[in-house]
Amino acid sequence: MKNKTNQITIIYILVSIFLAVIYREVLKHIPPVHHHSFSFINNAIFILLSGIILKYFLNKNDIKNSEIFKKLKNTNNEIKESNERYDIVSKATSDTIWDWKIQEDRMTWNKGIENVFGYKQDQVGESSKWWFDNIHPEDSIKMSIKLYSFIEQKTEKWQDQYRFKCADGSYKYVLDRGFILKDENGKSLRMIGAIQDITKQKEEEQRLKLLETVITHTKDSVIITEADLNEGKIPNIVYVNPAFTVTSGYNSDEIIGKSPNIFKGPNSDSLEYKKLIDAIKNKEECQVETLSYKKNKDEYWVNFSMLPVSDSDGELSHWVSIQRDISEDKKQEVEKEQLIKELTQNNKDLQQFSYITSHNLRAPLSNLTGLLNLINDIPIKNPELKEILDGFNKSTHLLNDTINDLVKVIIIKDNPSIEKENLMLKDIFEDVFSQLEFLIGTHKPIIKFDFEQVSFLNTNKSYLESILLNLLTNAIKYKSETRKLKINITAKQLDHDVVLIFKDNGIGIDLERNRDKIFGLYQRFHDYPDSKGLGLYLVKSQVETMGGTIGIESKVDIGTTFTLTFKNR
Amino acid sequence: MLETVLCIDDDPITLMLCKMVITKASFSKEIATAKNGEEALKYFNTLNQTNSDYELKKHPQLIFLDLNMPVMGGWDFLESFSTTEYSDYNKIKVIILSSTIDPEDLEKSKKYPMVIDFLSKPISKEMLEYLKDKI
Repeated sequence: MKNKTNQITIIYILVSIFLAVIYREVLKHIPPVHHHSFSFINNAIFILLSGIILKYFLNKNDIKNSEIFKKLKNTNNEIKESNERYDIVSKATSDTIWDWKIQEDRMTWNKGIENVFGYKQDQVGESSKWWFDNIHPEDSIKMSIKLYSFIEQKTEKWQDQYRFKCADGSYKYVLDRGFILKDENGKSLRMIGAIQDITKQKEEEQRLKLLETVITHTKDSVIITEADLNEGKIPNIVYVNPAFTVTSGYNSDEIIGKSPNIFKGPNSDSLEYKKLIDAIKNKEECQVETLSYKKNKDEYWVNFSMLPVSDSDGELSHWVSIQRDISEDKKQEVEKEQLIKELTQNNKDLQQFSYITSHNLRAPLSNLTGLLNLINDIPIKNPELKEILDGFNKSTHLLNDTINDLVKVIIIKDNPSIEKENLMLKDIFEDVFSQLEFLIGTHKPIIKFDFEQVSFLNTNKSYLESILLNLLTNAIKYKSETRKLKINITAKQLDHDVVLIFKDNGIGIDLERNRDKIFGLYQRFHDYPDSKGLGLYLVKSQVETMGGTIGIESKVDIGTTFTLTFKNR
Repeated sequence: MLETVLCIDDDPITLMLCKMVITKASFSKEIATAKNGEEALKYFNTLNQTNSDYELKKHPQLIFLDLNMPVMGGWDFLESFSTTEYSDYNKIKVIILSSTIDPEDLEKSKKYPMVIDFLSKPISKEMLEYLKDKI
C-alpha cells in the first residue's frame, strides 16, 4: 500500500518535471516577453512541494481505506460462514427449505423439493404462485388466509398444516414453519420456511381416529384398566366406551378410577373372578363368563375377555376388556337344553312304546304261529276246515313277516352303529338262495352272479342277508308274466368303493311318477296282496346304516336295476 | 330226555304250547309251570318240604323263563334266584323265551351265568332239537 503511494508521488513529480522542461524549451523559441518570471528552478521547487503534499493526503486516505477493507473482510467472512452453516443444515435436515423474497416474489427451494416431493429443479416454479398452486384445493384458501394475515401482522413466526402435491400427483401432509425478515421500517422482505412431511403421522392419526370410532360405536362394552391390581381387586378403570354406559347404567365419570369389582354381586361366579385375578397376576389373557350387576342392581350375563396391552418398552401398561351381554344367549341356551332334554325323553318314551307294542303284538302272534305249527302235524279230513286253516296259516305268516320287518326297522333306527366283518359274497348269496329255496324252486328264475372282481366285502352279515333277501323276493314277486325271469348280480370295484349291481327283467316301476317315494315307508307300487310297503324302506335303511348308498333305475315292463355302493374299508 | 323242566310264563296259551311241544318232542318227562317269578320262587321254596301240604315237586334241570310278567317279572326272578338263598339250585340252566325286541334285554341277560340262551317265541320242535344238542 505504501509502495503504491510512493509510486503515485514519484510518477506525479516525474510527469510535472517533464512538463516543466518542455515548457521551458517552448519558451526559448518565442520572443521573450515575461519569461524571466518563469524560472525553471522555481517550477521544480513548486513541483516537489506539491508532490510532498500529495503524498501526505494519499497516505492518510490509505490508512482509512485499509480500516474499511478490514471491516468488510470480517463481515464477508461472517456471511460466508453463516451461508455455509445454512447449506449444511439444509442438506442435513430432511425438511424442505424454501426462501421467499417477498418484494420481488422470487422463491427458491432446497434439495428437499426433489427428495421429498419428487420435483426436478426445472419443474420447480420461481414465484410463490407455484407454491400455492400445489397446495390441495381444500386446504389452499385456509392456508393463504392464515399466511397473509401473518405477513400483515408481521409477527415473527408462522406454522400451518396442509396437503402438498407431489410430482407424481399424490398429496403429502406437511407441517410448514416459517419466519420473516423485515427491514428497519418493519416491512417484510423475506420469508424462510421449513416443510416437514407428516403424512405418516397424519395417516396414523386417521387410523387411530378410525379405531376410536369402532370403540365408541360398537355395541360391545369396552373397558380399559390400569396394569396393576388395586389391593387385590381388578385394576382401576381408566376408560369406558358409550356402549358400556348403555349396558351397565354407569356413566364414565362415575366409574373411572374404580375397580370393576363393583360389578360383582351375590350371584356372580366367584371362581370366574378368581380365575381373572390369577390371570392378571400372571399377566395372561383371560376369558370370563359370569353374572354381572348394573348400576340399578339388575343382573345380566356377561362374557368378557381381558387382554394385556404393553407399551413401547414391552412393559404391561393397561388391560383392555371387551364385554358382551349374553343374557339372551344364555336364556336361549337354557331353553335349548330343556328342549333337548324333553326331546330325548320323548324319544326314549317312544322307543319304549315301540318295544312294548311290538312285544305285545309278537306275543300272541307267536302263540298263533306255535299253535298252527301243532295243527300242521294233525291230519285233517274235512276239506272245508283244511281250507280255513290254510287261510289262517297264510294270514298268520304274513302278519308275522310284517311285524318282523317293522321290528327290524325299529332296531336299525335305534342302533345306528353296527358290527362289520369281512364276508365272502358267494357264501352270503348261497345262504340267501337256500332261504328262498321254495320260491326259487317254484318260479325257476335264471340267476347269474359275477363276483370275480370283488369277492369279499366288509359288512354286517345279517343286514346284507336281509337286503339281498328283500331284493330277490321283490324280483321274484314282481316278475313279468310274459318273460322268463332273469336276475344278474355283479360286484365291482370303483376307486375305494364296492358297487353291487342287482338287475332284473321284471315289470319295473314307473320312476317318472314315483322316484321320490321309491324308498319311502308304506309305499306300494303294485296292487299285490302280500305287498307291505316296507321292503325297500328297510333295504335303504340297512344300506345307509352300513355307510352305503342305494340307487335305482327302472323302466316299466323292461326291468329294474338297483346299484348299492359301499365303502370297502 | 330231561327229567323235569319248569316253564314260567303268565300266558296260559304259551304254557299250553310249551307243554304240548315239549311232550311231542320228548324233550322232558315232567313239565312244571309257574305263572310268574314269585310263584316260581315258591316252587323252589317248597321243593324239599316233604311233610307239607304241597304236592311232591321235582327238581327241574332247565327253566324256560318269560321276561314280561305281572307280580314278579323275569329279571326280578333272576335277581332273587341268583342269591345265596337259592345256591342249592345253581346248577339249573335258564333259557329266556320272550317276544322282546329290546336289544338291551339281550345285554342284560349276559350278566347271569345261569342264563345259557336267549330265544324268541314261539317254542318249536326245531328249537328243542337245537337245545338238546346244546345242553
